[in-house]
Parts: sequence; structure tokens; C-alpha cells
Amino acid sequence: MDADTALPSPAPTATTSEPAARRPLSLAARSAITTGFVLAAFLGLVGVVMSVTKQQSALNNLQGQLRDAAITDIITHTDANRDGRLLPPDSPPQKFSQPGSGLYAVILGPDGYHWESTSAIGHDFRFLKPLPTGEQVFTGPVETRMGRLYYYAIGVAFDFPGRKSTPATIMVAQTEQQLEGENAVYRRTLALWLSVLGVMLIVLQLLLLRWSLTPLRKVASEMSQVERGDSDHLDSQYPLELTGLTERINAFIDSEREQRTRYRHTLADLAHSLKTPLAVIRSQLESASDEPTRRGVLDQVRRMDELVAYQLARAATSGRQTFAVAVPIASHAEDLVQSLEKVYAAKNVLCEFDIADGASFHGELNDLLELMGNLLENAFKWTRHHVLLVVQKQPQPGRGRPGLLISVEDDGPGIAADKIEKVLQRGVRGDERVQGHGIGLSIVQDIVRAYRGELTVDRSPDLGGARFSVKLPPE
Amino acid sequence: MRILLVEDEAPLRETLAARLKRDGFAVDAAQDGEEALYLGREVPFDLAIIDLGLPKMSGMELIKALREHGQRYPVLILTARGGWQDKVEGLKQGADDYLVKPFHVEELLARINALVRRASGWSKPVLACGPIKLDTTAQTVTVEGKIVDLTSYEYKVLEYLMLHAGELVSKADLTEHIYQQDFDRDSNVLEVFIGRLRRKLDPEGALKPIETVRGRGYRFAIPRTDGDDE
Repeated sequence: MDADTALPSPAPTATTSEPAARRPLSLAARSAITTGFVLAAFLGLVGVVMSVTKQQSALNNLQGQLRDAAITDIITHTDANRDGRLLPPDSPPQKFSQPGSGLYAVILGPDGYHWESTSAIGHDFRFLKPLPTGEQVFTGPVETRMGRLYYYAIGVAFDFPGRKSTPATIMVAQTEQQLEGENAVYRRTLALWLSVLGVMLIVLQLLLLRWSLTPLRKVASEMSQVERGDSDHLDSQYPLELTGLTERINAFIDSEREQRTRYRHTLADLAHSLKTPLAVIRSQLESASDEPTRRGVLDQVRRMDELVAYQLARAATSGRQTFAVAVPIASHAEDLVQSLEKVYAAKNVLCEFDIADGASFHGELNDLLELMGNLLENAFKWTRHHVLLVVQKQPQPGRGRPGLLISVEDDGPGIAADKIEKVLQRGVRGDERVQGHGIGLSIVQDIVRAYRGELTVDRSPDLGGARFSVKLPPE
Repeated sequence: MRILLVEDEAPLRETLAARLKRDGFAVDAAQDGEEALYLGREVPFDLAIIDLGLPKMSGMELIKALREHGQRYPVLILTARGGWQDKVEGLKQGADDYLVKPFHVEELLARINALVRRASGWSKPVLACGPIKLDTTAQTVTVEGKIVDLTSYEYKVLEYLMLHAGELVSKADLTEHIYQQDFDRDSNVLEVFIGRLRRKLDPEGALKPIETVRGRGYRFAIPRTDGDDE
């Protein structure tokens, strides 16, 4: 019914991801529980009503049967002689003569007359009292030595012309087993069918529920696509009930992106407006003649400038994002290297790439350019001839986005092991910048931190110079 | 060396222009993209310094337009935005180097020298033609290792000739690239400079570094010894 089975349903994640805080029951569970209860109550009631009705009609049937047997099998075969003595039935049907057939007949007459069918011999029917003529009784179950019995008794009178009539009480009894057996079969069948019906209804209900929750699962899967950066928005058509939600999510994604862009633009404008006056002051001071003041003010200008540059770079770093679009790395790396080759044309640097197919960066393009641009520029600055850029994907099972390893190596002098820590600590503040690994590296560190990554520096095994490696974690 | 300077901030433009002139460059300054495009198309510059944030026409568009018009001289971008996105975009559009504001004027001068040198095929900062060596960073000239004392204009003339060593350089070219205005085109000021240079570089008359191509101009005759391959 739904091909999208790879997606985890809400219920299992509830138990695995947040063991501490109890999460409200899943929609499917709520629906299944309520339906289960309602169905059980309804089907149970139906079962009770049906079996009571059936019992009633079975009793009615039994009464009819016993009455018919009393009249057609016993009374019609019984007579009284002229002395008013009852004659036992001449040939009662076979079923009354088999012991243990469960069907018994008894006749009570005047003066202690007592007749029992062969099946009843040895049993005790003393609970039976003579009935006045014309009266009939159907009762049961009665507790007797041969088990629980239902019996029908009728008071009759055998008339002999010219004599007083001979009263007799005829009883036909049947053990309960017969009736109960029949009822039990009925109840079993009924229970079986009702349970089958119940199960079918629950299954149908679950299927219906799954179908009606499909759009919700789709929202979840599209959201994770947006998170992975494979998609910009929730683009599919959604049912009316969900459009309010999905439209608002889209609006939220848009506004988040817009806000970030606006923020960056504001910062860039601020940079522009601050830095040009700084440039003016500096260039005018540099051509001024009063040496000591010139030095002093220039120093402060340089400090201000570096602080502005550093804080701006920091603020512009947008960091790890939920709704980041995937930025392909290879083409941007090429642009950067071509730019640097132009700027460092005099050095005739050979820059090699080893970029994994389809490697992409989940974040702002600007952050990627700053990260790689600063690392590469550093390498171009220090290299003698050879720079190597390696980008590897580091997939981790169970994570949507693979991790990323970006490393830049050169064949320059490298950084001595005891200086590495210093290089990494430097640039905590913009004004501690030192020629070479300066503001660029502190920007790289900020970006790496913002993306919860890791920056390491060591010696390049192949080229012999410095190797800067940035590891970004999988998502 | 004739430079196009495009910067909308008047104080910065004026300070830079003054400084560049003091260093012996001929400077044409423009305050917006359109004016710069007009100048950039008409005047044979050796280099352009272009601020990216310009009124009327952005620096990016200006560089693109100049390149599309066939101007090949090197372009140096000035940008207040230190981001790589701007740098990469500018270099892609045809710029050759960038400098982030604010900058040291010395840094700018060093970049200008390097760009001009590279544009005429010299990879090292020292231009060497036989015994004559011109150091573009220190702005000194040596012959057989001995420093030759030159005035600023003499240096500029020699630098221009050596940058284009082996090529014919017309008097008009020289005047345009060395002087601020096209004054005195017909005067013999240039001939006087050339005469003095010849005496200072080659007092014995043995090297004959600068030859006169009659009626057309001059040529630096000693071949380059510092090639790109070194």
C-alpha cells in the first residue's frame, strides 16, 4: 500500500531515540488501541446477544421436541384397560430403549403405577410429581443423579367409555449434554467468526490508517531531504489538512535563509563602510611627515582594521545548518585554485587535486570558499612548487550526510612540531595576527568550529611541507 | 608607467594618486565605473587599479567590459570585502590580483611592479639584460654589479624600455606611459633623457644598450638573460 517502507515509522523511533522523556503514543498506536477496545466491546456484546437468543430458541425447540415425543411416541402408544389400570406403551421407539441415549420417558399412574422406558431403568425419577390433568410443565435443567435434565411433563386422563377416566402423568426428559453440545458448537462457531471479523476489521483499520498517514511520512522524508540539502522546499502536493503546515514550514525555511543572507549583506555593507575610511586614514597617514604621531596612529588603525576584519569574518560564518543546500566542492575548488594560480603566477605553483566524486559541502558557499581559500592561499604562500588538495567523503552508516575530509599540503618549510600548537592557538583575537598564518587561519578555525569539525596540522607525508586537515562530521 | 586608478572615495583616490605620481607613475584617476570605462578604452594603460564598490557601474562589470573591449593590461582589484567569493569572482572576470582594504601603500606599489613585470613576460623582480640589471623592488640599476645613479624619470624610461626589451618602443608610447600629460610631444626632452641614460649606463660606448630606430622610436637592444624558464 505504501512503497516507502524504508522510512522508520514513528513508533519505533519513539522508543530508541528518547528513552528518558516519555513521548506521547504514536497516532497509529492510539488509533489501534481505541479501535481494538471498541471492536472488542461491540463484538463481545453481539456474541452475548446472539448466544442468548440462540439458547432461548434452542430451549423452545427442545420443549417442542419433548412435547412431540411425549405425545406421539408415548401417549399414543399407551392405554388403560377397563379396570382403569394403565397399560405400558406397546412399542416405544428405539431411542427410548437404548440405555445412555440420554432420552427418557416415565409414566406415573394412579395407585403407585410407575413405568419407565428401558433407557431410564435404574435411574431415579422421584422428583417427578403427578400433575393434574391438562397441566403441562417444561423445566430444566434439574440436577439429578444422571446429570442435568430438561423435562417435559403433562397430566393426561385416559378415558374408557362408561368408566371413570384414569389420570396419568407422562414425562419425557433429555439430558442437558445434547442441548449444551449443540449450544457449545454454536458458540464456538460464533466466537470463531466474530474473532475473524474483528481481526479483519483491525487489519483494515491499520491499512486505512497507514494510507491516511502517508502524507505525514512524506513530510518527514521531504524534511530530511531538505536537511541533507538535496531539496530546497517541501515540493509535493499535500492533502488539504496538511497544506497549512507544509506551507508554513516552507515559509519558515525561506525566512531562515533570507534572514541569513540579509545578515551577511548587512555585515558586508558594514565592512565596506568601515574599511574605506580606514584605508583613507592609513594612506593619508602614510604620506604624512610627522614620524612619531604617524607611527602611533597607524598602529591603532591597523589594530582597528584587523579587529573589524576578524569580527566580520567571524560573524559571517553561518555554521552548521539544518536547512543547508549541498554545495559541490570540485568546481569551487577549481575556481579558487585558478584564482590563486593567477595571483601567485610568479611562483609557478603546481596544484594537484584529489577530490572524491560528488563530494559536497553542507553549508554556506561563503564558508566553503573561506575555508578552502584561506588554507590554499596559505599553502601557495609557503610552498616552493607543489600543492596538493585532497577532499574525501567519510560516510558513516546510519547517517544521511557523509563526513568530509579536506586537506591541503605543500612542499614548503612546514611547521615544526613544537610550533603547531602556537599556530593553532594564534588568532584567537584578530590583533594577535602574525605574518603568514594570520587572520586566514583564525577564520578557518572559526568556520571549522561552527561546523563542529576539527582542524589538525602535521607534516605532509608526500610533499614534506605543512599539511592542514579539516574534518567535518557526518550528519 | 601609466596607471588607471578607479576609486569613488575622493580622499583615498587623491592620496593614492599623489603617492603614485611621486613614485614616477603617470596616473589617470576616475571616480565611477562609467568614467573609468571611457578612459580605459581610450588610453593605453600599463595597469588598472579598480575598486570593486563603484557608483554607476560596479568594479566587476567594469573589468568585464574592459576585457571584452580587448584591453589586456593587468588589473588589480581593491576590495573592502575580504571574502573569497569576491576575490574569485573578480579574478574570474579578468582581474590579475587583489588587495583588501585597508592596505599599505608599499604593498600596493610592490603588487603594481610585479603585475607590470609579469605582463611584459618577466617573472623575476630583477630585470637582467646582459650586464645591466634593474631591480624593480629596490628601484636600483647596476651595470657589471656597480650601482648607477639615475633620476626618477631616467629610471622610469629605462624600466619601460627594459620591460619591453627587444621590442620597438615609439616616442609617443614612451611619452604617454611616462608623463602625466601629453606635453611637449615634439620637444626633445625624451632625447635628452635617452642621451643621459646612454652616458650613464655605457660611458665607454661598448654596450650600446639603447638603439635608435630612426623616425620610429627606440629599442633596448641587449637580449633578456632572465627568462621565465630560469
